[in-house]
Amino acid sequence: MLAPVKHISPLTLIQRERVLPIPGRVVARQGQAVSPTDVIAEYVLAPKYFILDIAEGLNVAPDKADKLLQCHKGDNVSKGDVVAGPAGLFQRVVRAPFSGQVKLAGDGKMLIEAFVSPVELRAGLDGTVTRIIPDWGVIIETRGALLQGVWGNGKMTYGLMQLLLESPDDELRAGQIDISVRGTIGVGGYCRDPQVLQNAAKAPVKGLILGSMSADLLPIAAKLPFPVMILDGFGQMPMNSAAYKLLNTTTKDRNVSLHAQAYQASKGERPEIVITLPVPEHIEVLLEADEFAAGQKVYLVNKSYSAQTGIIKRILSKPFKFPSGIIALAAEVSLENDELVKVPLACLESFGEKTSQETY
Amino acid sequence: MATSTINTGSLLAIDIGTASTRALLFDVVSGHYRFLASGTAPSTVVAPFFNVGEGVRRAIDNLAKATGRRLIGSDENLIMPGLADNSGVDALVATMSAGKPLKVVAVGLLEDITLASARHLAATTYAQVVDVIKLNDRRQTSDRINTIMQIRPDLVIVAGGTDDGASQSVLDLIEAIGLASYLSPETQSPHILFAGNQEIQTEVRSVLEGVGKLHIAPNIRPTLNLETISPAQRELTAIYKRVRNAQIGGIGDLLSWSGDNLTPTAVAFSRVIRFLSKKYDPDKGVLGVDVGSQSTTVAAAFDGKETLRVYPYLGVGTGSVRTLQKSKLDGIIRWLPFDTSNDAVQDYIYNKEIHPHSLPVTRKELAIEQALARQALLLAVRRSLPDFPAGSARPAPDLLPWVEPIIATGSVFSKAPSPGQALLMLLDGIQPTGVTTIVVDQNNLSSALGAAARINPLLTVQVIESSTFLNLGTIIAPVGYARFGTPILRVRMTNRAGVETTRKVRYGMIEVLPVKMGEKVKLHLRPLHQFDVGMGGPGKAGEVTAVGGAAGIVIDARGRPLRLSQDPKRRKHLTRKWYHALEAKG
Repeated sequence: MLAPVKHISPLTLIQRERVLPIPGRVVARQGQAVSPTDVIAEYVLAPKYFILDIAEGLNVAPDKADKLLQCHKGDNVSKGDVVAGPAGLFQRVVRAPFSGQVKLAGDGKMLIEAFVSPVELRAGLDGTVTRIIPDWGVIIETRGALLQGVWGNGKMTYGLMQLLLESPDDELRAGQIDISVRGTIGVGGYCRDPQVLQNAAKAPVKGLILGSMSADLLPIAAKLPFPVMILDGFGQMPMNSAAYKLLNTTTKDRNVSLHAQAYQASKGERPEIVITLPVPEHIEVLLEADEFAAGQKVYLVNKSYSAQTGIIKRILSKPFKFPSGIIALAAEVSLENDELVKVPLACLESFGEKTSQETY
Repeated sequence: MATSTINTGSLLAIDIGTASTRALLFDVVSGHYRFLASGTAPSTVVAPFFNVGEGVRRAIDNLAKATGRRLIGSDENLIMPGLADNSGVDALVATMSAGKPLKVVAVGLLEDITLASARHLAATTYAQVVDVIKLNDRRQTSDRINTIMQIRPDLVIVAGGTDDGASQSVLDLIEAIGLASYLSPETQSPHILFAGNQEIQTEVRSVLEGVGKLHIAPNIRPTLNLETISPAQRELTAIYKRVRNAQIGGIGDLLSWSGDNLTPTAVAFSRVIRFLSKKYDPDKGVLGVDVGSQSTTVAAAFDGKETLRVYPYLGVGTGSVRTLQKSKLDGIIRWLPFDTSNDAVQDYIYNKEIHPHSLPVTRKELAIEQALARQALLLAVRRSLPDFPAGSARPAPDLLPWVEPIIATGSVFSKAPSPGQALLMLLDGIQPTGVTTIVVDQNNLSSALGAAARINPLLTVQVIESSTFLNLGTIIAPVGYARFGTPILRVRMTNRAGVETTRKVRYGMIEVLPVKMGEKVKLHLRPLHQFDVGMGGPGKAGEVTAVGGAAGIVIDARGRPLRLSQDPKRRKHLTRKWYHALEAKG
């Protein structure tokens, strides 16, 4: 059975496709080394159009107005340029209200597309551009640690990380966010106090990574000017141990790329942290799609399991009845404390690590 | 594809949902069509596959394992037609609900007339109206163009002008549509469905043909008092296929295998409901509800006249947070039979949206998910009520018309731990009136049968008649209000052996008559205090033949519309009591 994948890995080859939502212009070059905030492509999200009533402006009939046009389809115009006229006793003219390009002209009217600033797409991580996707974007490759989460407020940053928790189940308190965390990416456990977020904005921090957060705080977190990423989910739960270990050891005092993009399963986009590390040339890529199998490292998604991780011991041959009464395909999972629990396959995510075990 | 009323071949139906893809096999057994088995796999519409093919292939593989029937040949293609060794199938149909709802701009002259009809048309498929352009719209043409360019709709539905009615006003409205289409790159240009004044088709063609993907359908509002959605709905389904084919990988193969027979799941579901409405009591309608991960569908038909409404983002998985937002937290919490914090419920629902495939492990989690389903259903049914045919008989304008049966589909019902739990969700969410029967489509076959009806109506008829749906029970729901505990109905039940039992039912309770599954009994119903059980008016008594279902025969004496107590303690007490009344049997 297909297993959804969540990557939490201290060392892997990371390939990320960074593409525009609509075709645009790619500005990065193949082989270019990029940092997270480098612009790699740009596009015009929504061009602005304006219809000029030439006939009315010149006070003439539409067919006569067409003969008085100074600009035609395809011409670029600057703000204030005369686009039609002069006409009449007072030598009336019509001027371009802004700089742009004439898209259509006729029947006494002119449609101008205004030049607008393009929207920039940034790299989001340290790495090398390994492929250009013409008009759409690039593929960036790097090596290091990768940690994916479940919610992001759509912003990104790059900076030094500072741990604000001593154990996975610590709650982040407002008092912990002071001048000492200014300009860093703070890493905390559970957050339920809006004051934490307000203090983070005042400090200000460069970013915030939380194990979990009360869903009540989402409207505030969404509007913060810096990236906020949640690793495990909503409501009080300890930070998953794999992430805690990774953040506490591998990446301590390192610069990280925090790309708190919104979690969109449909596009395969998850908020994530990438820490570029000097690692060997040959290193395995994590799987993007996996199948459930014995021996597989898994993440337990249901809140009842408190974001624990474990290893699948076996896939049950028959559907199992859970305390809720729901009967479902399930696996027996050995948790880190050696406890064996039965978990619906639907509540498991694979780490995407290659396993030689037989798939189910 | 040719339509045949006599087709003895096997049929494979593929249903691609947001969460799961299912392969359903139908074939002839002892001279009658039967549902044989299904295979399920996670849908692969989204990352990392972005192609329905992998999920379809796995679902077919699982079906092949379950049946021992070879369905895929050595060339990796579906074996079609079937071979003498019983491998392969003779036909394939497909239904689909996965994918983001189509973004629709609705254009019409007047809000309550043609624009309302345009909205109704959009609501017959997985679509969301994201903007409207109407006669009294104060935006200038350039602003309308900018809006369309920013929204990038998949579809623009243009209604407006009754036949022989307004023409220039409609043409003025579509100027912005034509210009926006002209300015859009070919790949982003929206489909335009013109379903307005038929007298101006030529002018509409001259403005829009060549600059946009124009489709013309019969007027959905030919006169002020008449709305005819069905012909335009067929064109809408064709557009849906084209949009999905452009958006999602693998759809082309599916269209090729099925001879272009890919139908939106809701449309296929509605077809079955319409079919049933012709089969059952013409004085009553037939209601179908489908609660899914992302959307909820309400399909009703009254003597062949259908009303179909799809509510995208009103679901129990990827639509769970939107369901919460549309209901407020109290709307969900009121259904819970236990004490819990608001935060716990809210957090659970947000986590459910992140992991829509996850299953409830504890009873509390299950109760939250079932509360979400009740609320999605309640909102969908309430919103649909005004759109049911004006002539449909109902006890009050704000109540559900008399319908029988009610068909429920969706895994929240079919996988509920007990029939009683499924029934209580449906009673709370739909709030049926009078005497009816509620059945659950336990194998989620309805949409497949609706799609199959186009090429093999006999299969649809015979499978529906083969007890494939689980009868939860006959429901008696008196309409009216009384003080809690007031006797409102006297029931005299006579079983086949002639044994009579009587019962007095009190307001506020759910009572179960212990009738075995399939057992027929006669019920004499005498409502008290002017309660109405659909026997010809308030207080009128009558006799019905009722059949026991998985939950027996259920008398829902909680009044209509259902009013839950404002006192949380009392409400929870009653919720538990209702739950236990049905759970004890179910």
